[in-house]
Amino acid sequence: MAKHETPLLDELESGPWPSFVTDIKRQAEKSPQCWDILGQLELSFKERITHWKHGGIVGVFGYGGGIVGRYSDMPKRFPGVEHFHTVRLAQPASKYYSTKHLRDICDLWEKYGSGMTNMHGSTGDIVMLGCRTEALEPFFYDLTHNLQQDLGGSGSNLRTPANCLGQSRCEWACYDTEECCHHLTMHYQDEIHRPAFPYKFKFKFSGCPNDCVAAIARSDVAVIGTWRDNIRIDQAAVKEYIAGNVPPNGGAHAGRDWGKFDIQKEVIALCPTECMWMEGGELKIDDAECTRCMHCLNVMPRALRPGAEQGASVCVGAKAPILDGAQFATLIVPFMKVSADNEFEELIEFIEKIWDWWMEDGKNRERVGETMQRVGLPTFIKVMGLEPIPQHVKEPRSNPYVFWQEEEVEGGWDRDVEAFRARHAA
Amino acid sequence: MALSIEELKAAILKKAETAPKPQLYIKDFYTCDPEAKPRVVKNAANDLVKEGKMMFWSSGSTTMYAMKNRIKDEEGAGGVN
Repeated sequence: MAKHETPLLDELESGPWPSFVTDIKRQAEKSPQCWDILGQLELSFKERITHWKHGGIVGVFGYGGGIVGRYSDMPKRFPGVEHFHTVRLAQPASKYYSTKHLRDICDLWEKYGSGMTNMHGSTGDIVMLGCRTEALEPFFYDLTHNLQQDLGGSGSNLRTPANCLGQSRCEWACYDTEECCHHLTMHYQDEIHRPAFPYKFKFKFSGCPNDCVAAIARSDVAVIGTWRDNIRIDQAAVKEYIAGNVPPNGGAHAGRDWGKFDIQKEVIALCPTECMWMEGGELKIDDAECTRCMHCLNVMPRALRPGAEQGASVCVGAKAPILDGAQFATLIVPFMKVSADNEFEELIEFIEKIWDWWMEDGKNRERVGETMQRVGLPTFIKVMGLEPIPQHVKEPRSNPYVFWQEEEVEGGWDRDVEAFRARHAA
Repeated sequence: MALSIEELKAAILKKAETAPKPQLYIKDFYTCDPEAKPRVVKNAANDLVKEGKMMFWSSGSTTMYAMKNRIKDEEGAGGVN
């Protein structure tokens, strides 16, 4: 039976959609502290102010992340949420787990916490909502000893790395995202569990430019699979698509009659760089112009495949809108071999070069993308020891001044001005 | 010349005790030894937490460091009613 009157929240149950209010009421029958979530939220709706206090010193011994302190500022009125800490669990690579494991986690959370979860948080973690401080250590002990499950990242730590299904399920994956994510997770245990940086830092691994984990929009280092030779074309399969013998998009849009497949309209005309055409009954691609939008491969997966020389593009600096608005990652390395054969050495070296610079030059609470924006891409590229390439250029420059470095000027700053003026009158 | 790890830890503790603000970012400790790499300072500060001499305070998105006796403890802060 409801502990608090919640007329405003009840409105949220009246629509056609699933309601978190209904979910919390259902959970409150088992975990009475959940009634106080509803009571406190109802009060916040009325007063238009939050009654959560966010952050604190809570954690588990040896770790500096994975727990986010949360308290009610009205503990006498809502004792069930006096402490209501969030616990982040590291999700397995590609989020593969057995239903038994999920049930075990849920049972453990009903024992020690509110039983409420968020599957999954935007970083990918399994998020457990609502735990008292004194229950954190026993929960962590059972979690690690009985379920062999670790905490994820929070605070100024490396956050739990995330990856797409990769080569386990997907024919487009250009490198083994699961192996890469797992390897880097193990390699950087200290950075995941203890603060290391001026602010949070995220990796995400996508096997192809479809970027199913949205690495380019959400991670400080986005490793996105690509190829550097040509898209592999099976011309016989192209003809089968044109003849209507193979459904486009793997039959994904088969629920409605869209008419006969039109390769010109549905593929060639939609190519953003206009690098495709039909010639003598064959599909042609000017691969040098391909921008890896993946549209043609998505529409005709049986006819088109990524090239055979595969690796990843590495983009840096995406973030959600916290201070400065949302920002996509910037392409820094167009092609990098990403291989377990050398234990991802090249990628690790690249990441640590960024860290060394950002730890020194980044301001407090400044994501690496914001530091890059502040110092400018030319400076960042120089720091990384890279040669500028056309893909680094966003637009033709509008500033008429050129600022030379001393080493770029013949004779440096100490050259003989008189001799120069003899040839070039002021 | 860079400080030894023990000297660096002592400098970090001194800064944590005397700084006007009780909670400090990791970058605030870089000045304890300007010659030390940020990673060395970070490891020293995290060691001090492991030794129980300092504590982490985390908002969830950022982590700060503080002496135990100076830190703002939400559990001791009480509520509005």
